[in-house]
Amino acid sequence: MVILKIEHVSKRFGNLDALRDVSLEVEQGEAVAIIGSSGSGKSTLLRCVNNLERVGSGKITIDGDVLVDTAGGVAQYPPEKEIRRICTKTGIVFQHFNLFPHLTCLENIMIAPVQVLRRSKENVRREALDLLDVVGLSSKAQSYPAQLSGGQKQRVAIARALAMHPQIMLFDEPTSALDPETTNEVIATIQKLVAQKTTMLIVTHDMRFARESATRVLFMDEGRILEENTPQQLFEHPQNPRLQAFLQSVRS
Amino acid sequence: MDFAYIQTLLPSLLSGTVNTLKIFFLTLILSLPLGLPFALGAISRVWPLRFLSKIYIWVFRGTPLMLQLFFVYYGLPILAQNWGEQWAELFRWQNTTAAIVTFTLNYAAYFAEIYRAGIQSIDRGQHEAAKTLGFSRWQTMRLIILPQTIARVIPPVSNEVITLVKDTALVTAIGVGELLKAAKDANNRDVDPTAFFLAALIYLCLTFVLTLVSQWCEQRFSRHEQPIQEG
Repeated sequence: MVILKIEHVSKRFGNLDALRDVSLEVEQGEAVAIIGSSGSGKSTLLRCVNNLERVGSGKITIDGDVLVDTAGGVAQYPPEKEIRRICTKTGIVFQHFNLFPHLTCLENIMIAPVQVLRRSKENVRREALDLLDVVGLSSKAQSYPAQLSGGQKQRVAIARALAMHPQIMLFDEPTSALDPETTNEVIATIQKLVAQKTTMLIVTHDMRFARESATRVLFMDEGRILEENTPQQLFEHPQNPRLQAFLQSVRS
Repeated sequence: MDFAYIQTLLPSLLSGTVNTLKIFFLTLILSLPLGLPFALGAISRVWPLRFLSKIYIWVFRGTPLMLQLFFVYYGLPILAQNWGEQWAELFRWQNTTAAIVTFTLNYAAYFAEIYRAGIQSIDRGQHEAAKTLGFSRWQTMRLIILPQTIARVIPPVSNEVITLVKDTALVTAIGVGELLKAAKDANNRDVDPTAFFLAALIYLCLTFVLTLVSQWCEQRFSRHEQPIQEG
C-alpha cells in the first residue's frame, strides 16, 4: 500500500530550481533515506510533504488524500483546515528538535493529541509515558527540554511526533546537530522504529545510518532524484557519476 | 531634621501616595491586557488591522504623555461639544478618570510594542513544529508562542512599570491630588522643601518594591530555562 506519492513536483526559490520534476512513492513499512549534498533539495522535498513549503507544481498524495494537485500549471491546495488534517498524517522530526521549551517532556508529547485531536488527557498521558519508554526516557517525563542533552531532546521530539499516530514519519537531518555519542542513541531509536516497520522518509548526511537503517536509498542532486536503489547496491555499485563523486567526497 | 514637622506632613503625603497607587494600579490592570490586541493587530495578516494598530502605537508613543493628558482632560470635552451636548457630557471626566484613561491608552501602546517584539523573537522552529502537529494559527499563538513570550517580555515590561510610577507625577498638571501635588502644596505653604525629600523617598520605596517583584517574576517565568542538576 502506497502511503506517500509524490508526482512531478517542482519548486523554485527565486531563480533557483530547488526541486525539478521529482517523483517518489513510499510504501507502507518502508524506510527511505535521501542522501545528497547541501542544497540538493532533499530537505525542501521533505518540507513540501508536510506543507512547510508550498510546491510550484506537481501532486502529493498522503495516505489517499491529495495535499496538492496542479491544474493549468498552478498548484492547487485544499482549504487550510483540510491541509492541517492531511498533514497530521505525517510526523516530522527536525534537525534542531524544536521542542516547546515551556513544557515538560511529557507535556510536549501530550499537547498535540489533546489539543488538536481532542483526545482524553488520561489516554494520551498513558500513551505518552509508553512512548517515553520506547525512546528510553521514562525518567525525564517531568524534565524541561533545557535540562536534556541534544540526543535526549531528539528522542523526545521523535516521541512527540509518534504521539499523533502519523502514517509516515519524516526525519529532516535528525542527527546533524548532535555530537557523535548522542548521535548513536538517536540512531538506535530510529532503528527501533525501522524494526517495527514504521513508514519513514529520512533526509540524512550520515551515510552509515542510511546504509544500515534504510530499506531504500535515494540520491538527490540539484533538485532531482538521480539514483535510487537498495542501500547495498547504491553504496557498492553507484551508477551515476555524480553519485560516485559524492560518495568519494564523503568517504575521504 | 524636625521629626515633629515630618509627622505633620505625613498624612497628606500618604493620602497622596494612595492616589498615586490608585492611578498606578488601575493603569497597569487596564493597559497590560489592552496591549495584547494591539500587538497581535500589528503583526496580523489582515492589513486594516495591522494599519490601525500601527497608527495607534505610533501616535501614542510619538506624542508627549503630557499633551495626551491635556487633550483628554481639557480638549476632548470641547471637541465633543461639536457632536452634541450628550457627547460633551460623556467626555467631561473627573481629572483622576481622565488621567487613568490617558495613561492606559498610552501605556497600552508601549506594552503592545514590547509584546510584538517578544512574539516575533520566538524561533521560527516553534511555529513550524506547532504547524506540523496540526495546531491552528490561534492555537499556536495561545499555547506555544505567548507562554514563551511572557518570560521574554518581563524585563522590558518591568522597565515600563517603573517608569509608570514616576509618570503618575504628571497628573499634578491637571490638579489630581497625588503624592507630588501633596509635596508641592506643602512646600509652597511652609516654604520648606522637606516634603519633596519625603516624596522622593516614597517614590524610591515604590520603585524598589517593584524591582523586587520584577526579579521574582523573571525567575518564576524562566524556571523552565534553567538546567537543574540531575539526580
